[in-house]
Amino acid sequence: MLTVKLGNTEFDTPILVASGTYGYGNEVEGLADVSQLGGIITKSVTRLPREGNPPPRITETPAGMLNSIGLANLGVEAYCKEKIPFLNALGTKIIINVAGSTMSDYIETFEILEEHGGNHVGYEINISCPNVKEGGMEFGVSPKMTEKLTKELRKRTDRLLIMKLSPNVTRIQDIGLASEVGGADAVSAINTVVGMGIDVKKRAVQLHTVYGGLSGPAIKPIALACVHKLSKVMSIPIIGLGGIRTAEDVLEFILAGADLVQLGTINYKHPDRGITICEELVMFCKKNGFSSILELKGQLNK
Amino acid sequence: MAFQESTRVKSTEEIAHNTFQVFLEAPLIASVVKPGQFVNILPDKEWDMPMRRPMSVSGVSGSDVGVIFKAVGPGTHLMRDWKIGSEVDLLGPLGNSWNVTGETPILIGGGVGIAPTWFLHNELDRRDIDHYLIMGARTANEHFIGHSPDKKRIMCSDDGTFGISGNVIAGLDTIRGEMDLTLAKLFVCGPAPMMETVREVAVRENIECEIALETVMACGFGICQGCTMEYVANGDTNDTYRKKFGLVCMDGPVFKAHEIKTCYL
Repeated sequence: MLTVKLGNTEFDTPILVASGTYGYGNEVEGLADVSQLGGIITKSVTRLPREGNPPPRITETPAGMLNSIGLANLGVEAYCKEKIPFLNALGTKIIINVAGSTMSDYIETFEILEEHGGNHVGYEINISCPNVKEGGMEFGVSPKMTEKLTKELRKRTDRLLIMKLSPNVTRIQDIGLASEVGGADAVSAINTVVGMGIDVKKRAVQLHTVYGGLSGPAIKPIALACVHKLSKVMSIPIIGLGGIRTAEDVLEFILAGADLVQLGTINYKHPDRGITICEELVMFCKKNGFSSILELKGQLNK
Repeated sequence: MAFQESTRVKSTEEIAHNTFQVFLEAPLIASVVKPGQFVNILPDKEWDMPMRRPMSVSGVSGSDVGVIFKAVGPGTHLMRDWKIGSEVDLLGPLGNSWNVTGETPILIGGGVGIAPTWFLHNELDRRDIDHYLIMGARTANEHFIGHSPDKKRIMCSDDGTFGISGNVIAGLDTIRGEMDLTLAKLFVCGPAPMMETVREVAVRENIECEIALETVMACGFGICQGCTMEYVANGDTNDTYRKKFGLVCMDGPVFKAHEIKTCYL
């Protein structure tokens, strides 16, 4: 009922958890049965380890949060040694999120991961981190660069290749189409929206890096619009994310044209929310006589 | 390992001005939690802010877990209004705990930072370990236990209305005549300026000291990587991970004073 396919890979449910919101899968041990999720997209990994940005890195907003973590991660070599064996044994589908700042960064990280192997089903490529100068945004705002990077990575893997798109662009469809032409299997939309917080009492900015990425319910309408626009022009599947908290939110994204979705900020508060949403979606299908949740895909009444 | 536990409020009490201690029936968490650890609280079922509210555990009573808080924002106002029997969702226990070693413990708490020191104080009493307890507050009505230096309980108030006049350092100074502080170990939690002042004294005088840091947190168990602190001089390179910036939730909240660059987070 909830099974969805991406390329040749079958996911038990369309609910994935977003990169950077579920660590490496081990942190939620005891808090959520990850085998009931469609899959986990792991925190961005880069060629070298990264300390990330100085504090403060996060702040709460009325309907979301601003973050500026700065791609803190242990680097691809340690990732292969310390994380992949655990991820292989988790009992859910793993998609590895890769970030970089130059073409060679992405390619080297990718080659190390491919050479190391593992049973991960694919890669999500972060070309849209707003929080580091060298966070790949140079790729994420340029259709030409996106297509070139996608092609280079496509040559190097038979696993799923998913490009993660930024909303901080003039026309997200152009970046989506460039990913498609480059050979991506799918796109994820959207990464966080650039934002800023100010503390009036201290007359100070709330994040060390001044600007950060806004996530949570505040950005859901933006994400829905992006998914809808992409679905009008693209033929590869779209993975929708941005502020999803409930099963109804998931249905909204599917109606807008998404095949799969990712939960992000909500995982911090409810690490098991992905699992309860799956249960609610099964009930929804049964109640409404759908044999597959994707019967709803794009089915907005005129 | 942490649990997500659905709990009920067992008791709630205003222990000092606008300061509340609540005990929640949480048998799983109560069975394993140690002084210094914290829980991440959903203030209400309908709570729609994106973050829970992390609070240090102030004690365990049977299968109940205590927290102490001041009602200052929307989350803590909801918590103030909890009734006996209210359902509360907790994640915990989270983070590391205090390390009591051979030295004489001197516990220093202030503001809502009294919770983990209060837990440790009661734990040390239970284990019959002789120790000092120094509590700081702005004024008399923020204190909730008596000032009794003969029992090694030293209360300090900024405005001089209760106990020792001055901050917790003034309280610490009263012990200097009784013991060599290099044979003591400080356990500190409180507002950032208080912790930073004690940290400076501890580093300068080479006193063993552990500080339980507080900062904004989204998850409390390592997935958001938002609750960073900075270690003292672990090199200038950024090509490392969690050597320059630690996570308060996973690497702490308890850190050794000499490894913390600043308590202002």
